[in-house]
Amino acid sequence: MRKTIIYISLLMIFLFCISFNAAAVSPEEIIQKMEQNEVHDTAKVEGSMYIENRFGTKTTHFISWARGEDESLIEFLDGDEDGQKILKTPDTLYLYFPDADEIIRLQGAALRNSVMGSDFSYEDMTGGKGLLDDYSAELLGKEEIDGHSCWKIELTAKGRNVPYPKEIVWIDEDEYVTRKAEMYSRSDKLLKVMDVKDYITQEGKKFPGKMIMRDVLKKSSSTTFSIDDIELGVDIPNDFFSLQELTW
Amino acid sequence: MKLRKIAVRNVFRNKTRSLLSGLAIGLTAAAFVFLFGLIEGMQQDMFYNITTYYTGEVRIRNEEYNKYEMVNPLHLNIKQYDEVIDIIKDVEGIALTSPRVSFPTAIYQEGENHNALGYGVDFSREEEYQELNRVLIEGEIPDKGEDKALIGRRLADDLGLSIGDSMTIMTQTQSFGINAITLEISGLLNYPIAQLNKMTFLAPIDRIQYFLRMDDAATEVLIKLDPGSVRKETAHKVSSILHSAGYHELAVQSLDSISQTYSMLLLARYIYYFIAFIFFLLASTVIINTMKMAIYERTKEIGTITALGMSSGEVVRLFLLEALFISIIAAFLGTLLGVGITYPMSKIGIDFTQAMEGVDFEIDPVVRPVLTAGSTILVFFYAVIISALASIGPSRKAAKIEPIEALRV
Repeated sequence: MRKTIIYISLLMIFLFCISFNAAAVSPEEIIQKMEQNEVHDTAKVEGSMYIENRFGTKTTHFISWARGEDESLIEFLDGDEDGQKILKTPDTLYLYFPDADEIIRLQGAALRNSVMGSDFSYEDMTGGKGLLDDYSAELLGKEEIDGHSCWKIELTAKGRNVPYPKEIVWIDEDEYVTRKAEMYSRSDKLLKVMDVKDYITQEGKKFPGKMIMRDVLKKSSSTTFSIDDIELGVDIPNDFFSLQELTW
Repeated sequence: MKLRKIAVRNVFRNKTRSLLSGLAIGLTAAAFVFLFGLIEGMQQDMFYNITTYYTGEVRIRNEEYNKYEMVNPLHLNIKQYDEVIDIIKDVEGIALTSPRVSFPTAIYQEGENHNALGYGVDFSREEEYQELNRVLIEGEIPDKGEDKALIGRRLADDLGLSIGDSMTIMTQTQSFGINAITLEISGLLNYPIAQLNKMTFLAPIDRIQYFLRMDDAATEVLIKLDPGSVRKETAHKVSSILHSAGYHELAVQSLDSISQTYSMLLLARYIYYFIAFIFFLLASTVIINTMKMAIYERTKEIGTITALGMSSGEVVRLFLLEALFISIIAAFLGTLLGVGITYPMSKIGIDFTQAMEGVDFEIDPVVRPVLTAGSTILVFFYAVIISALASIGPSRKAAKIEPIEALRV
C-alpha cells in the first residue's frame, strides 16, 4: 500500500512537471528564441540557389548584405542574372537590372513573381520586423522532424500585409531553430513547403545553412538555397541600403 | 418557240404581279451580292492580318512550345533559326519568311506595370513580310543591334510616349528569371487591328535574344506562300525537309490547323450560303403565289389551250418558262444592283469601328467588300434556279386541270 502511494505520488509529480514544462514555454517565447538565433544584427552572406523544375536545372550564385530583417541587398554574380540586384528597405523592394535605365520598384501582384525562376517569390523577401508583429502564434503540440523533437506552431496573420495568411512552423525543441515550415493561402490551401537540411553555428548562434523550398503549385519544382560563407557583425555603412548604392 | 412567245406575253399581262415577284428575287440577289462581297472582304482582310501578324500561312515552332504556350516557355525554341530558314528557303511555294521571338511583357512606367506584347524581329525580313511601310506612320525602323523599338500608336498614346522617349520593359527570361531593358522608341505603328495597336512593339531580334538570354534562337518562323500554293502541301514538304535534316523537335503547321477564327470564317461562308438558300426560297414564295393566282385567273384559258391540243407537258413548260423569265430578268437586275452597291463600298469601306469597340478580332474595323466573279455569278444562278424550281409545283397543278371542267368555270 505504501509502495502504491509512493508510485502514485511520483507519477503525479512527473505529470505535473511535464505540464508545467509545456505551460512554461509559450509559443511567443519559442518564436522569439528562434529569431534570436536566426536573425542577425548585420551579416554578409555568399551563397547559391539551385533551381530545379520540369524544364531543367540552373545554379545562381549571389552575395548579400543584411541589417536585421528590414534591410538587405542581394547581388547575383553569374548566369543569366549576372549583375542584377535586389534591394530591400523597410518599406519597399527595388530591382536593379544592368540594361535598364530605371530602377524597378516592386509592388502589388508583381511581388508574387518568382525570384530568378526559383520557388521563392519576392513576397517571401518582404515582411521584416519580427514574426510576432505580423502573426499571432498558437502551439499545436510536438512532432518529430528528421529525428528532432520540434514545437509545432501555427502562425495566423493579424492583418493582410503579409505574404501568407497562415504558416505552420516546426521549431527544434532543444536548439530553437526552424526545421520545417508550411505556408498556406487564405482558403487554407498549402502553397509552399520549406525543409531545412543543414545548419551553421557561429558566434553562439545556430541558423539554417541549407534549405529546400518547394512551391507545391508548380509541378516538379524545388529550390535549394545554400549559404557557402557567412560573416556576422560586419560593418555596413548607414547609407548602404539605398537607391544610390543600388546603381553604383 | 410558240411557248416562249406565249410565256413572254403572259409575263407582261399582269405587270404589277410580275414586278412584285421580280422585285423580291432581285432585291434578295442584290443583298446577297453585297453580303458575299462583305464576307469575301472580311475573309481576305482576316487572312492578311492573321498570316502577317500572327501565324503565317505556315508556321514552324518547337513542338513542345505549343503545349506549354501559356507559361511562355522561351526555352522551347528554334535554335539557330537562320540555318532552319536556309534549309527551307528553296521549298517550292515559299515566298517570305519571318523569324520572331514573341513574349508577353510589362512596360514599367512611374511605378506601374502596363501589359504589352513584344516581338523580336529581323527588320531586314520583316519590312517586306509585314509591309512595314504601310503601318509605320512616323519615325524609322531600328537597325540591328540598337536598343530601339517600333511601338503601336495606341500603346504609345496610352503611356504618353512619343518618338525619342524611352520605355523599360520587364519580363521572364528563357531560364525563368526576370530581366529588364530600356528601349528607345524610334517609330510609331498604326496597325489595322485595335488589339495590336494597343499592345504591340517590335524590336531588333538580336537585342531581344540578348534580353531574354536566348542566344540565337527564335520562338517561331512564319512563312508566307506564293499565290496558288497549297498550304497543307507546303507545310508537309517543309516538315519532311526539316525532319530529314535532323530537326525532329520542330512542328510545322498550316494556317488551317492553327487559326480557329479563320476556320470559323470559312465555315461562316457555308452558313451564309444556306441562309441565302432560305432567303431565295422565301422570295420564291412570291413567285409561287403569283403563279397560283395566274393559274386561278387563267383556268378558262388553260382549258381552252388544252382543248385545242396543248399537252399537259407543254402547259408545265409554259408556266415554268414564265417563272424562268421573271427570275432571269429579276436576278440579272438584282445582281447588277448588288454590284452597283458593292463596288463603290469596296473603295470607300464600311466603318464598323464603333460596333467593334472592345472586340478582339483579327480584322480591320473598316471593312472593304470584295467583288469576285465567282460569287456574283453564283448568286445570279442561285436566284434563277431556286426561283424556277419553286414554280414547278404550281405549273404541274395547272397541267392537271381538265379542259371540260375548266371551260365550265
